[in-house]
Amino acid sequence: MIQLESITKTYLLGKESVNVLDNISLIIEQGEFVAIMGPSGSGKSTLMNMIGCLDKPTTGTYTLSGENVSHYSDNELARVRNQSIGFVFQQFHLLPRLSALKNVELPMIYAGVSKSERQTRAVEALRKVGLSDRMDHLPNALSGGQKQRVAIARAIVNKPKIILADEPTGALDSKTSIDIMEQFRELNEEEGVTVIVVTHESEVAAYANRTIYVRDGMIQLLPASIKGASE
Amino acid sequence: MSFMENLLMALSSLKAHKMRSILTMLGIIIGVGAVIIVVAIGQGGEAMLKTQITGPGNTVELFYQPSDEEIRSNPNIFLQAPFKQEDIRALDQIQEIKSIVASSTQMSSVRFQQETADVSSTGINQAYLKLNEMNVEKGRSFSTSDFLGGRRVGLVSHVIQEELFNGNNPVGKVIKMANQPIEIIGVLEKPTGLLSFSSLEVYLPFQTWRTIYGSSDYTQVTLQADSSDELQIAGKKAARLLNNMHNTEDSYQVLNMEEIAAGIGQITRIMTLIIGSIAGISLFVGGIGVMNIMLVSVTERTREIGIRMALGATRGQVLTQFLIESMTLTLIGGILGIFLGWGSASIVSFFAGWPSLISWQVVLGGVVFSMVIGVVFGLLPANKASKLDPIESLRYE
Repeated sequence: MIQLESITKTYLLGKESVNVLDNISLIIEQGEFVAIMGPSGSGKSTLMNMIGCLDKPTTGTYTLSGENVSHYSDNELARVRNQSIGFVFQQFHLLPRLSALKNVELPMIYAGVSKSERQTRAVEALRKVGLSDRMDHLPNALSGGQKQRVAIARAIVNKPKIILADEPTGALDSKTSIDIMEQFRELNEEEGVTVIVVTHESEVAAYANRTIYVRDGMIQLLPASIKGASE
Repeated sequence: MSFMENLLMALSSLKAHKMRSILTMLGIIIGVGAVIIVVAIGQGGEAMLKTQITGPGNTVELFYQPSDEEIRSNPNIFLQAPFKQEDIRALDQIQEIKSIVASSTQMSSVRFQQETADVSSTGINQAYLKLNEMNVEKGRSFSTSDFLGGRRVGLVSHVIQEELFNGNNPVGKVIKMANQPIEIIGVLEKPTGLLSFSSLEVYLPFQTWRTIYGSSDYTQVTLQADSSDELQIAGKKAARLLNNMHNTEDSYQVLNMEEIAAGIGQITRIMTLIIGSIAGISLFVGGIGVMNIMLVSVTERTREIGIRMALGATRGQVLTQFLIESMTLTLIGGILGIFLGWGSASIVSFFAGWPSLISWQVVLGGVVFSMVIGVVFGLLPANKASKLDPIESLRYE
């Protein structure tokens, strides 16, 4: 499904080159629920951008569903993001001038779906996250949890194989966080969608079947006992 | 992503910043409006000048330009009327000529009771009436029997009514011209054209004029034909004929009004071009305004661009979105500018008294040109938007 082989990402800071990702190899199977944890500056965001095809590796190979996307052009990566990946962000990233329904329609516009089908599928996605009665609201008229559920509806509307969530509960209270994480669990268990959550909260990571720790651009293999102690 | 969808999206983002959009459009509105005004008034003025000069059309004036030799042998040659009665009869034989308009003008003093005035007295033939619009505001015009019988009747210009009759109706009154009595049968309307001006004028049937002044020669001869092609031939034949009859080389010539009109048309077109270019500069400044505001808009919406890219928008789609947005801005501005230009040109021509010409070419040109401005000045901002890095853009606050 997702296969990273010796991925390195190097940034030039002035004259100095910094390895943000340092020789990372990782396999995530279809249908997994994975949490990526690590302190800030560890490279976990870069790793997520890499998996999400927003960023290209400096060296190494990234194979997604059998396609080697490491050297894809910007346009090809845009298509992969559109078709195969659903993003959920900490700050929701909804377009403020569009209604919930129009926000959910957005990825389908870029996929070239017809107007009538777009509407049907957007309504269906919003119903799935329990927001049938809030479809015409602008994001400002929605609570944080509702916004995040609109974002989830938007992420799943093109039926992607992977959902990438970057600190999805970071701006939510703990009760709403549980609702959102339950939503992810449901999608993962019922639809078989691969869910990858970047977080620094162990409560969130607890929903995952597997947790990957990143530190200094490398994946750390922690002893099970430490992992257990942190839960 | 369809054009319509881009258009709707563009409209909604323009609506989100109403004041800003309107102010930006204002530059385009004024620019397009100014160009339309200049072109409309220029074309209207040109059309009006042309009709004023060529008259009802298909006429050519014969004129006499004596050679140096002739002037030396006869110093008084300019005081003599160049066209004789037999000239007119000979011209009448040329088949391309439909009618010959002949007249003779002489300064003369006119007396009514104790008042006197110096006027230009013109004897005209019947064809003159048809070619020159001589609308009477009081009384009647000449009839055929006035011409044939050489009746002692006359038409006077409006100014004469003011000068000689203190504004009272002169119809039916008898004036004295060269001590001969003439009954006034009508007063001519005030001239309205730009080039016409009102002067003291009396018109008499040529027969009458001849007996009063004792001259049967004409000072002015104009030929009329059915088409401009026939007119060309008629003019050449007439000039050749008259030069033969008078044994002159090239003294009788034709004055083609259409050539003069074409010359004047060229002058007005150059004027329109010059003033239009100045108006074009304001359009250019308006375009820079659009570019400026689009750059601001791209910066403000960096995060939106990042989100769209994360959701699968290609760089091309982002570029198109912003291009269409700036094009929509200038297109709406352009359409409003056309209305502004049309309205202003109509008002100006209403008070100036000449037609304003808004042709569909000008309207179409205005629409297309404003769209082109949108694309040209939108290119830089749209390109900037499409080159943004999605990761950086998503982080942008």
